[in-house]
Amino acid sequence: MNRLLPLLAIAALLFSSCNKPADRAGADGGGAKKLTIALLPKSKGNQYFVNVEKGAREAAQELGVELLFDGPTNTDPAKQNEIVENWITLGVDAIAAACENKEGISTALKKAQAAGIKVVTYDSDANADARTFFVNQATAEGIGHTLMDEAARLTGGEGEFAIITATLTAANMGAWRKTIEARLAEKYPKMKLVDTKPCDDQKDKAQQEAANLLSAYPNLKCIMAICSPAVPGTAEAVKQAGKAGAVKVLGLGLPSENRAYVKEGVTQSVILWKVQDLGYLTIKATADVAKGKLNPGATEYDGGKLGPIKIEGDNLVLGQPFIFNTENIDQFEF
Amino acid sequence: MNTPRTNGSSPRWWLRHEVVLLVVIAIEILYFQNVGKNFGTAANIANIVRQSVEIGLLALVMTPVILTGGIDLSVGSLLGLCAVAFGMLWKDAGLSPWLAALGALIVGTLGGGLNAALITRLRLPPLIVTLGTFSLFRGLAEAFTGGTRAFTSFPPSFLALGNGFAFGVPVQAWVFAAVALGVWLLVHRTTFGRSFRAIGFAPEGARYAGLPVEGRLALAYTLAGAVAGLAAIIFVSRVTEARANAGIGYELAAITAVVLGGTSIFGGSGSVHGTLLGVAAIAILANGLSRILSITAISRELSGMLTGALLLLALAAGALTKTLSERRASKQSRPPSTSPPAP
Repeated sequence: MNRLLPLLAIAALLFSSCNKPADRAGADGGGAKKLTIALLPKSKGNQYFVNVEKGAREAAQELGVELLFDGPTNTDPAKQNEIVENWITLGVDAIAAACENKEGISTALKKAQAAGIKVVTYDSDANADARTFFVNQATAEGIGHTLMDEAARLTGGEGEFAIITATLTAANMGAWRKTIEARLAEKYPKMKLVDTKPCDDQKDKAQQEAANLLSAYPNLKCIMAICSPAVPGTAEAVKQAGKAGAVKVLGLGLPSENRAYVKEGVTQSVILWKVQDLGYLTIKATADVAKGKLNPGATEYDGGKLGPIKIEGDNLVLGQPFIFNTENIDQFEF
Repeated sequence: MNTPRTNGSSPRWWLRHEVVLLVVIAIEILYFQNVGKNFGTAANIANIVRQSVEIGLLALVMTPVILTGGIDLSVGSLLGLCAVAFGMLWKDAGLSPWLAALGALIVGTLGGGLNAALITRLRLPPLIVTLGTFSLFRGLAEAFTGGTRAFTSFPPSFLALGNGFAFGVPVQAWVFAAVALGVWLLVHRTTFGRSFRAIGFAPEGARYAGLPVEGRLALAYTLAGAVAGLAAIIFVSRVTEARANAGIGYELAAITAVVLGGTSIFGGSGSVHGTLLGVAAIAILANGLSRILSITAISRELSGMLTGALLLLALAAGALTKTLSERRASKQSRPPSTSPPAP
């Protein structure tokens, strides 16, 4: 028992010291102070989100907002929730989240809302009732139309082309294909979509499928890869077939993964939104939601250096996707 | 079962591992109280508890395993498999969440039983067996879900387990307290516990002394599996989603807590309350660092680094005090005239 006494004394000391900072938390709550916005990426080391953070920092500095950036470093599905829960007790004013697990994170975001914290999502949405706005990097129409228009530009508006997608069932890619086909029917009567192949989001398989397409359709003018691993995969197949330049390659992907092929002239265009702008708009909009300047029902938003931003329902739309090619690809790191 | 160390010449109370850990925790708390934002609030303490229950449960049942000189690398993967099993039993088989939870517990027990059978019947080393089941269980979970399927939209009555409060305390904390008490009694107040330590101290000796070594080992690994199932249920309820990557890396977090808590990785000595302190020290460190706003962007990396440093320091300090006390003991046994008194 003698041994236990000092332990008990220490425990008592700890316990008594635990109650102190509650008052401080209360004192922190009131008053018009610098806004604190917490930015949650899907994962922290990913170049894509590193660039989101860059844009976010720019906006934070411009607006005089304190920005916290933290995210999972592994694939533990509990991490995003834990980070949000800790931000709630930290007393941040607003949270901007890119959601890895839609349903799971929505629980934590709703807790944040219940604690009076404003929530905005970006990149990938949560459940609609768990946030005020979703900053949408690109609508299905924006992506589909840009891809189709660019394919038409590269081929001179005529000839056969094929699509490589991730799976035939993925919801977002299904929507993109629909808008691509609608645009094709509407504007480019001399072009013909001859085939659509799935690559299961794998570069190797995309390369194989592209090689098959090249031999099956000798008149093919262009291959459009609409999932990111398929763009370099397709380029490799076209390069190995010795058809670089003759068969145009374009797709939806990261500039960094395609830089070499773009410079070699195998891939003509890589399409994506400007990721840094996504971070910028997210923080700007989140700050204005927290200040009560941007409320549900608004139809337009002043995006600062990005110009006027259209609001569709509860989505802020970043704008038309951006086309990366030999001229500009070196300016982008992601 | 007395080792010479616990007889008379035990280190002074302030050198005991648990006391050192308590001091470390005290320093952490006092430090984060002063530099962290809203660290000591009730809501944040609830956060710390909720977020460490699953790893804490795994660490609790890892303690007897390590006491026997073994290891279980499969508990994190088994947690993932049980989470998926729970989701499938609920969604695909249409069972109520509580029946599905029972099913997940059974899956966990069977998983632990598989480890136990391979270790005791085939006499394979636990490290190898559980390294195998580490991949096997995670692989099964991924196969069942195609790696992408997630189970969601559980009823609120079930989600209350991971997100609700009972008598002012997170619901799962009560479950944790019950399991902690159970494991503590098992290890420190029953002959089972003493046999775990005996097996870890000298497996052959324990066998010659007539202990049912295989049976006791089987108990430790099966218990670890069953509690991994329980942790899976709490995890799913807390995160409100069941998917194959649940519990990824948790086995190492649990082992870290056990070893930091003073249990020898070679088996033979250690305690459940030490493990609890180990869990607390790591959880408080991780949470506290994320409350220092200036370093919040690197708090996760920093907490990994400091946890590692803390572990190495604790082990080094333990080894050092042991060496010192042995040296003192050997000096005392010599005639007093030949050596000056120790300072």
